[in-house]
Amino acid sequence: MNYPVWYLPQLGGGLLIAVIAILHVVISHLAVGGGLFLVVTERQAVKTKNSALLEYVKKHTWFFLLLTMVFGGISGVGIWFIISLVNPAATSSLIHNFVFGWAIEWVFFIAEIVSLLIYHYRFGKMDSRSHMILGWLYFIFAWLSLFIINGILGFMLTPGKWIETGNFWNGFFNPSFLPSLIFRTSISLIFAGVFGLVTGAWLKDKVMRRSVFRLCAGWIYIPLVILVLTGIYYTQVISAESFENLFHFNRESSPFITLIIVSSILLFGLGLFTLVRMSQPLQKTGAILLVVICFGWMAGFEYMREIARKPFVIYGYMYSTGIKSSQMESINSEGFLAQAKWTRIKEVSEENLPEAGAEIFRLQCMICHTVDGYNDVRSKTGQLTERGLEAWLTGMGKVNSYMPPFAGTDIEKRAVAAYIYRVLQGKSTTSPKVQEAISFPLEIPPFNPDTSEYVLLAWNDLGMHCLSDNDKYFCFLPPANTLNAQLFRRGPLPELVNSGVTMEYAVEEGFQHPEKHSLFWKYDQEIFGVDLPEGTGLAGKGVNGTMDAKGNLYEAKFIPVMPYMDNWTFNPYPQFTITARDGSTGEVLAMTKVIAPTSTELGCRNCHEGGWRWNDVAGLADETAINILKVHDRYNGTTLLQDAEDGKPGLCQSCHADPALNAAGKPGVLNFSSAMHGFHANYLSGMDQDACNMCHPSNPDGSTMCFRGRHSEIGVGCTECHGTIEDHALGLLANQADIKEAARLSRGLEPVYAFTKEEIKPRVPWVMEPDCQSCHTNFNISEDGFSGTAFNLWVPGLEALYRSRTDNHGVMCMACHGSTHAIYGARNRYGLQRDNQQPLQYQGLAGTIGTHDNCMVCHTIDMSASGHHRNMLNRDPLPVLVE
Amino acid sequence: MYDSIIPTADTIPVHWLWFQVLLIITFFIHMILMNFLLGGSLLTVWDILTGKLETRASGSIPTLVALTVNFGIPPLLFIQVLYGHLFYSSSVMLAVPWILVIPILILAYYGAYLFVRKSGSAPLFSKVALVFTSLSLLFVAFMLVNNNTLAIRPERWGIYLNNPGGWNLNLGEPTLLPRYLHFVVAALGIGALGRAIAYRYSKMDAGEKEGQIRRNLKLFGWITIIQLAVGTWFFLTMPETVWRTFMGGSLGATALMVAGWLLALLILHSTFTGRFAPAMILGGLEVLVMVIVRDLARSAYLKEIFHPSQLENVNQQSPLYVFLLVFVVGLFALYYMIRLMFNAKTSRS
Repeated sequence: MNYPVWYLPQLGGGLLIAVIAILHVVISHLAVGGGLFLVVTERQAVKTKNSALLEYVKKHTWFFLLLTMVFGGISGVGIWFIISLVNPAATSSLIHNFVFGWAIEWVFFIAEIVSLLIYHYRFGKMDSRSHMILGWLYFIFAWLSLFIINGILGFMLTPGKWIETGNFWNGFFNPSFLPSLIFRTSISLIFAGVFGLVTGAWLKDKVMRRSVFRLCAGWIYIPLVILVLTGIYYTQVISAESFENLFHFNRESSPFITLIIVSSILLFGLGLFTLVRMSQPLQKTGAILLVVICFGWMAGFEYMREIARKPFVIYGYMYSTGIKSSQMESINSEGFLAQAKWTRIKEVSEENLPEAGAEIFRLQCMICHTVDGYNDVRSKTGQLTERGLEAWLTGMGKVNSYMPPFAGTDIEKRAVAAYIYRVLQGKSTTSPKVQEAISFPLEIPPFNPDTSEYVLLAWNDLGMHCLSDNDKYFCFLPPANTLNAQLFRRGPLPELVNSGVTMEYAVEEGFQHPEKHSLFWKYDQEIFGVDLPEGTGLAGKGVNGTMDAKGNLYEAKFIPVMPYMDNWTFNPYPQFTITARDGSTGEVLAMTKVIAPTSTELGCRNCHEGGWRWNDVAGLADETAINILKVHDRYNGTTLLQDAEDGKPGLCQSCHADPALNAAGKPGVLNFSSAMHGFHANYLSGMDQDACNMCHPSNPDGSTMCFRGRHSEIGVGCTECHGTIEDHALGLLANQADIKEAARLSRGLEPVYAFTKEEIKPRVPWVMEPDCQSCHTNFNISEDGFSGTAFNLWVPGLEALYRSRTDNHGVMCMACHGSTHAIYGARNRYGLQRDNQQPLQYQGLAGTIGTHDNCMVCHTIDMSASGHHRNMLNRDPLPVLVE
Repeated sequence: MYDSIIPTADTIPVHWLWFQVLLIITFFIHMILMNFLLGGSLLTVWDILTGKLETRASGSIPTLVALTVNFGIPPLLFIQVLYGHLFYSSSVMLAVPWILVIPILILAYYGAYLFVRKSGSAPLFSKVALVFTSLSLLFVAFMLVNNNTLAIRPERWGIYLNNPGGWNLNLGEPTLLPRYLHFVVAALGIGALGRAIAYRYSKMDAGEKEGQIRRNLKLFGWITIIQLAVGTWFFLTMPETVWRTFMGGSLGATALMVAGWLLALLILHSTFTGRFAPAMILGGLEVLVMVIVRDLARSAYLKEIFHPSQLENVNQQSPLYVFLLVFVVGLFALYYMIRLMFNAKTSRS
């Protein structure tokens, strides 16, 4: 942003640096090791009075000079040129900090040049002792120049104490200085041996050739042990983050790790030919081949070093973008373009989003990415929507910590997303289609307060059950809606009826054949390992059937109802009729209606390009599912997409444990909630409730609006109970701190409803949930003097969960108050009172059963004491929902 | 004025004058060597084309390349320290021809070796190699002049917008041609002087040696006359604010410019009268004076914009002291090595 950017949309500056640098580094290492090779071999030749060997040294000196002084020397300047062009900010930083390091190195260069020139031009024209002194001097100065550049190069990867002190010596003698120096010295000696083969192969005398080859073999293999040991030492001094990214997380490194392994095997394997008799043409070929492999080896090593350093160009100090970490805060508040110098656009507005995005992309992203060439952005971004790109930029550098964070304001982020989506991908954003809100007519079941003998209450256990609805590719939520019911015989002391009753349930018309709208039954064997009859759920229940008596209530588990009506209307609130019959006579004792909320309005498509699967209004499109699996495979090294395409889709919980599905998962893998929330929190930060609405069907502009009860009505949102997605994720990840991915996912998250991360309790999903009594301490309507949120104040145990709790007499809380997220009187998109049918049936008011001191609903008489829980009576009228 | 495009400069470790003085000294040495190299090559090419090829001085061309490049490094380092924020910017604008300097320089260097090595076995190839090397060096010189000029002219940085891909040659710069010619002509002149020096210390027989020395000194003289004209042209193409500095605007600058003119006249005298030692000393002095004038001109161009004294000094002196120590040790090493070369017995035994 400080400097103009060399615009290279196809090639990319990084590739140019790589080409020049790799060529230079191979030759320059040769320049060091070869110097020792020359003088040591000369010494041997002189001692053994071997004039043929001496002649070889002379020839090799000339070859050596031509290669190292000309190509090696100028290409070194070439690196300087190219880094100044591609990353002037970093180059300037290095120059201004290490100018005297380079000045010192220059002294060594001039001494190298002079010594080598004399060594070559006076070969055979000087006495041996003087000549060899020059040879030694050359090597010493060459090694010293390696010493210097090694310090600066190492500084970039591990600046050590320099970050605090800014001191030259702290920066120069940094943590990776020593391992890198020994490592590179070993390489120098090995390369000296390899290049020695080239001149050797061209010798005319066969015996001489073999003897030179044997000599070179020593140079190739003896330093190998040191190379391997210091290589290991080297990997231990880089930061843990660098190590993790290089060897595990950053997929960019894979081909280079392969390259170095293969090159090593080839180099040290094929190198053995030096010890075998063979014809000269083969020896020449072998020598050249080994030289080529050296370049491959160096390419692998140097790329690995560069990748280990990402996202920084000077670790911990300056990002590859040329932006210093210390500048990030001001850029994020004032704006990147406002602070950038070489931009045509200073301010971003809705009108110039793609143009501003193009500028930001050029100034900030093109240092590493091309548009269409190496490491191109176009092919990497096809799987995200425009909103997804914005989310991706929000999370950039947090999970994929080998990338820098995005530098800029929110609108600048949207500008880049707009540029990538609309210009590079050539797409345009359209709003997802929404099911028209239809007010289905209600037929409230009859109830006579004077004569009816029973009150039958029923509810869904969660207030909403979602389905992942693309079983062809994966499943994490099957069709599985659970209904509960309690039957009370009315009287001054009502009786909870637990036995002698057949509790039937039946779904309304239009929902009778869920198997027509879902692939669940096609893939149940692969995903769940069971072959279910069509239309039957995982607990053996269909959409019509009988509930099971279970303790103090009746339960029908995992009813496989789908939100898809036969007339192609999306209706996430299918209505069930619950009928209680006498177990022996079959006489109808009571009847009521209940909603089994079930939605496939999953928000994945908001970010993962694709769309809706079903009638263009709900479900997960194949394209979205594919894009999701692609990301998962890339980050985790899985083959989920291939497996699905081979007809074997998986259950996410087969790896990710989940109490909701009673899944044990696999050891060492985050549980499902931790993984989902932990991962996505990084991309949906700073959004409060909007983050929840991005994925869950609670979007107030969506087809479901599942958060629809009393709390929603008065503005108590998701985050007031659950915390923001960041808080949510931090709690879950804290509980899995033994898994290393937890650290990667939580590192970039900042708590919102807590002051510090340590304050957030490690949380088990589905078990440690909001406790109503955090706010309703004394069961009053509004907080009992409590202000704040219910976040982090979880229920003490499973039995204290809202859906598990009863009052003092075994009446389930939900029976009177309604389902979670749909507390009476709830407001339903598909008929205002659709959720409130029981309160309307029993008391004509859409509020808590027994509201307005109307204990007569069950008790048939007025009551004077708060029997079910404290503070029931004699207070301000509770709010109800009125048409 | 150019705040929106001139990047923020980084801090320096010691007082800016250290770098300023080192820059002048090392650039001066680089100029001498460059003049010998470029001028020497061009003159040799001329001799080839006029059928008068002499190999005596030209055997040193590859060594000159090595030394010129090596002595190009310190000034390149020091201008990046003092003017990096300007220099990197102009480099990016000229990115494509600028980076091409590297492969072309490599090829030029190999060309120089080919010229020397093949002069006996493949004379035509050898000559073509030298022509190629000379043309390459002319290109390198052009880009160096061009970049350094653009660096001090932020008002021309709009060329970046014409082509952010770096395909710019800054040909619209009014001083570019005269400035470049001034350097090339200087190279020819000092190159001729260099050849005279090479002859002077060669092992030729006295008569022929004397003839060659005179010839080259005269060449130096004639070229200096041309240089006076080119220099004046160059001077007048510079912005008024800049040449006024040398015409009374600044006492020191004016004195130096006058000295430069006087030295040129003295050079004419010594070269046309065949006085070798004065010509050599005056030639060296002239280059030094012109190097300082060049620096003063740069300051004049940047008057309202930037001066190295504005750089923030963070005062870390120990690396400087270590460098000075290493430099002294290096000098001893060089002295020792060269002495070894001269004093060593001339055979293996």
